[in-house]
Amino acid sequence: MRIGIPEALLFQRYEPIIRTFFNNLEVDVVYSGPSNQDILERGIKNCVDEACLPMKLFQGHVSKLEEECDKVVVPRLMKCEFGDSICPKFSGLPELVGKGNSQGRFIFSDPLYLNDRAKLEKTVVKQGKQLEVPKENLIRAFRAAEAAMNIRKAVYRAEADFAGAAGMGESEETKKPGERKGSRVALLGHPYNISDSFANRNLINKLKRLGIEVVTGEDPLEKDFSMQLTGLMKAPYWMFYRENFGKAGALLESGSIDGILYVSSFCCGTDSVIIEMIKSRIDDFPMLVLKIDEHTAEAGIDTRLEAFSELLERRRYHEAHLS
Amino acid sequence: MKLTFPRIGDSHIYGRLLFQEIGIDIVIPAPNSTEGLERGSAKAPEDICLPFKIMIDNLLSAWEQGADTVVMPATMGPCRLGEYGELLAVVLRKQGCDYRWILLDALSAVGSKELLHRLGQVVEGSPCRKRQILSALSETYSIIKNFEKLEAEVRMLSPYDCRRGASKSILRNCRRGLEKASDISNALEIIRESRRELEELDRDKERDPLRFLVTGEIYTQIDAFGNHHVEDILMDLGVSFEKSISIGWWIRNTILNPFGGMLSEAKKNPLMPHRIGGYAKETVNEALRWKKEGFDGIIQMFPVGCMPEIVAKSVFDGLAKDEGLPVLTIVFDEMGGEAGYLTRIEAFVDMLYRKREMNDVLSGNRCGVCKH
Repeated sequence: MRIGIPEALLFQRYEPIIRTFFNNLEVDVVYSGPSNQDILERGIKNCVDEACLPMKLFQGHVSKLEEECDKVVVPRLMKCEFGDSICPKFSGLPELVGKGNSQGRFIFSDPLYLNDRAKLEKTVVKQGKQLEVPKENLIRAFRAAEAAMNIRKAVYRAEADFAGAAGMGESEETKKPGERKGSRVALLGHPYNISDSFANRNLINKLKRLGIEVVTGEDPLEKDFSMQLTGLMKAPYWMFYRENFGKAGALLESGSIDGILYVSSFCCGTDSVIIEMIKSRIDDFPMLVLKIDEHTAEAGIDTRLEAFSELLERRRYHEAHLS
Repeated sequence: MKLTFPRIGDSHIYGRLLFQEIGIDIVIPAPNSTEGLERGSAKAPEDICLPFKIMIDNLLSAWEQGADTVVMPATMGPCRLGEYGELLAVVLRKQGCDYRWILLDALSAVGSKELLHRLGQVVEGSPCRKRQILSALSETYSIIKNFEKLEAEVRMLSPYDCRRGASKSILRNCRRGLEKASDISNALEIIRESRRELEELDRDKERDPLRFLVTGEIYTQIDAFGNHHVEDILMDLGVSFEKSISIGWWIRNTILNPFGGMLSEAKKNPLMPHRIGGYAKETVNEALRWKKEGFDGIIQMFPVGCMPEIVAKSVFDGLAKDEGLPVLTIVFDEMGGEAGYLTRIEAFVDMLYRKREMNDVLSGNRCGVCKH
């Protein structure tokens, strides 16, 4: 039996965990590879019109895998490892990408609660039976994946000594904006928009060409969040709300960035809230919201990035010379 | 303290009567309107859902009338409604409206003690005793129940009217009466009177109108402005329809029965087995009644960008392809023009009439040429 794994949405984030799990299962696994034009076109054709770009890409990956695999992994992620939810579309992913009868070919589409170990193991083992592998293998694979997950959690919960490993304590950090060579920009947004270079039209390379240094704060720390979230009426329940809002606040406070670049997919429901909340905290700090959609023309993105880079340069110049 | 709350459908009628009964000062926001929506959209983030934009205008207008405290229901996600409170507060503070917020959050988010405390805050200005407040609540609920029953009857019966639009105008008059009602018992009397009028109307029982099921996102279901008065359009087109999602439905499912969510989760539904936030599962549950109860068509409505309903729409697309579900999805945005919606609904109605005729002809009940 061949199992297909779409490399879209949160695949990149949970990649070590997913790979560990399936390597230990010893089954025939096919990964769909990075997104490309063909996948996007399949996605647009098969997905419901109102869905956002990442969902259409996911649909494209699934449609491609359906042709060559017996089963396709379409997870129904209800809660992430810290008990946060993502967006209703993730909880309804099998319904969203499964038209009519194809749903029978999806696997791991029972609710997954990554924060509840016992429940998760039960679901995984139950679903794994369809894969025709012995139960011992499943349990072994689950344990191995769990170990990988625990490393993630440990880094997240870690105190200051881990800060270097977490990618937020780089050498230029201590320098004042005026003393740096180029501008430093915090790249925020949903991880699948940032990491998929097809979806965001090679954004990171484009920034490099403009001489902008990018901070993604890939693995953020819990302590950064909890500090930034004080003063809200209600603790946010979306994972990306907490992450992006927390990261923006922490980076801004450290004074190590010159601007914020927020990548958002067109019509993203959660981003409409997150962006406004970030804006409410940063006053007149430069922030560019870059919307990405199915259009493949790059001129619009280029122009906006160039304008943003010029604005940052001018601000840096003024700060260095006037203050 | 002057309370206010966002205006959803007839909530202002019920809210006014309830708070008047228990002696609390409230401010009713100006009716939802195109100008209001424009003002709301100008202040709101651009991608946020339509109800949020309308609510911004509601609360701005309430502030102008002197309100200082907002009562706002909230949920624990993953739909956006749960974050409304926070975001409304931020946007309104920018406009200089520094409201005090009472978020009536889900039990799972704040715990029962905090929830009771917040409910206490709502009624802290009332001179009444607890017992009086509870009885006012139950009387208000009976207004909601009776009025919604009247609405449901009008929706079903209006195509049979001998004088076109007679039922519709009874409903309209009843709503106007309720807006001016002096107190709860007066309101109940008005509803009783309207029901009597409705029962006495002449009806042509021979007619065989199309039967629709209207379902979708809760705000557009409840608020007539939010759905561009779809109900009036359907009544004018002579369609008999049912719509079960309403304020009373919400109260029954969330407040009177705190296990409503769990019950709904337990309900078997092969097409949407789990609750994904919002009311997507309920939308699909409703639509599944189509086959069993023989509806001619389904209308799904939601505001642009509504996350759970997009998933529901995907399920409907699959059903339409595999089983021929006759569904029309209407997505509402800030555009004020109604011609587009009207054309689509008219075309849908025509199409279904023709389909019925074709079925009659094919099954031999009627001759295709001379209509006998």
